[in-house]
Amino acid sequence: MASLRSSASLLLSAASRPALRAAAVAPAAVRGMAQVTDGQQQNQMASGDQAKLKTFQIYRWNPDTPTEKPRMQSYTLDLNKTGPMVLDALIRIKNELDPTLTFRRSCREGICGSCAMNINGTNTLACLCRIPAEDMAEMKIYPLPHTYVVKDLVPDLTQFYKQYKSIKPYLQRDTPAPDGREYRQTKADRKKLDGLYECILCACCSTSCPSYWWNSEEYLGPAILLQSYRWLADSRDEKTAERRDALNNSMSLYRCHTILNCTRTCPKGLNPGLAIAQIKKEMAF
Amino acid sequence: MIAQRAGTTALRRVAGKPNAFFTANVSRLGRTQTLSTTQTRLVATQKLTADDETALLAKQRLHRPVSPHLDVYDKQQTWFGGSIWMRFTGAAFSGSLYTFSAAYLVAPLAGWHLESASLAAAFGALPFVAKGALKFLAAWPFAFHAVNGVRHLLFDYGVGFGRRTIVKTGWYVWGASMVGGLYLAFFL
Amino acid sequence: MTSIARSSLLRQLAAARSATQQNVIAKAARATAFHTTARRDILPPLPQRVDGTVNDPAPVPPTSPSHGSYHWTFDRLVAGSLIPLTVAPFAAGSLNPTLDALLCATILIHSHTGFQNIIVDYVPAYRMPRARKLFIWGLNAATAVVGLALYEFETSDVGITEAVKRIWTA
Repeated sequence: MASLRSSASLLLSAASRPALRAAAVAPAAVRGMAQVTDGQQQNQMASGDQAKLKTFQIYRWNPDTPTEKPRMQSYTLDLNKTGPMVLDALIRIKNELDPTLTFRRSCREGICGSCAMNINGTNTLACLCRIPAEDMAEMKIYPLPHTYVVKDLVPDLTQFYKQYKSIKPYLQRDTPAPDGREYRQTKADRKKLDGLYECILCACCSTSCPSYWWNSEEYLGPAILLQSYRWLADSRDEKTAERRDALNNSMSLYRCHTILNCTRTCPKGLNPGLAIAQIKKEMAF
Repeated sequence: MIAQRAGTTALRRVAGKPNAFFTANVSRLGRTQTLSTTQTRLVATQKLTADDETALLAKQRLHRPVSPHLDVYDKQQTWFGGSIWMRFTGAAFSGSLYTFSAAYLVAPLAGWHLESASLAAAFGALPFVAKGALKFLAAWPFAFHAVNGVRHLLFDYGVGFGRRTIVKTGWYVWGASMVGGLYLAFFL
Repeated sequence: MTSIARSSLLRQLAAARSATQQNVIAKAARATAFHTTARRDILPPLPQRVDGTVNDPAPVPPTSPSHGSYHWTFDRLVAGSLIPLTVAPFAAGSLNPTLDALLCATILIHSHTGFQNIIVDYVPAYRMPRARKLFIWGLNAATAVVGLALYEFETSDVGITEAVKRIWTA
């Protein structure tokens, strides 16, 4: 009875949920605290050879002083006391070294797409990018390339989202389902959406594309075109012809020159380049 | 470390007594400390209408810098990915075709000799090294454009999009075009 | 005397501070000037402007297959047909005049659409409509001139494959 009640309270009361989460998060937090408190003692004992120092060079620009040019600022962390991912390092820098450092982050497990940035030359999610521990070279972290910078590592993705809206990313149908219930599709048709629906719109691929750098006002870019193909390939959607017509001009789709930076950079392992090639192929004849 | 601690305790002891000279120094030190990374903002709030907000945002947007792109993006992808060299080699070939053709049209008026026979004679008179260099300079872009062109046509057909495949075929194109260029320049 | 003592004291204080800083590993702020945007002055990005509100979709351009799918398909067909046309002279040693003229025409079309792509990429119409028009018509004129020149070359000279062969083996 008691156990039943506790499980019911877990399900029902919203108040218990944060408590649960706090419990789940607690070990990490405790570890962090311990590192900070006994840091001095540890450092007294462990001299330089044991500390694995790594320097992070991070792009900084402050909108409060807009006339100042963007600059690179370097921070050094001991990797022994930092989590394995770049996002862990960024959070530690913000917590302990420089609270003014600004970046987006949320889920820390590669599903929200907030922490997309350019790390050591390629776009990726900071939460999925391991800090290379074997070499002690400096890591360079920039915001997503050729985006307008709001602050530090935060890019403005307004145009990206407006373009996403322009492709009508939702099911368009006029005829009701034959049995009046949900729209069904065969397993084979559903399989066509694999590799497309997983896209989290982190904009890593679009901002890796030189074509999108030069023509982001008119060219849709790999991420939006992959999403577009997700609806073109959906057997339940009935506006396929209209969707194709919307892409059939010189700019929206055909600025893609199969450079394929998009496929090489996608942190989710998807293939925007292939999706675009399939749109082009289907529209060819 | 002990010596340092002794130093700081001594400092604290001295700081306890009022001393004009010393406090001046301390304040200077304090000033250097404010150079650290904490930021203070004097915030005054005010009510804004939606229009004012959009206007303010539009004004802020005008000042935003564009994040670095060509300079920071992985050079191996932007400069050796093949695609941009497709454009370079193609533009070089078409550009030289266009200039040669235009020159060929005006040659009789300008008194130049651009007929194939005189060109061949002029080329034949060059020393071997210059001939080989010029031939390779023409043959490598040709081979590259041809090999990578086939690769791109295969891409357009939907073939070869695996992540590893892209990188691998990219390097194959470089290798094949080098070999092909050398063959065309020196063994044909 | 006192001043000397104090300065050494200060030095000790500074040393202590640097030690504590190392303890927290705060090797912060070696800020370097950052120069990337200033060097590339060809078509620098404009200040950011957003049309409409954040919730308006980006405008969809009107459908025009002649600039879209037809153009792309035509491009690929031309590129594909260039493969046998370039392989043939290597295999046969030379080309007959008809095939040679065909090769010339195909290369000309391929060059023209290639240049077109370059112009569309780097001379954006929304930003420089007049320059775009100038470039496109300039290209059309150039292609016409080159077409005429190639016709001259094909009819009065030995043809492109034969000419390349003669120069190559000279």
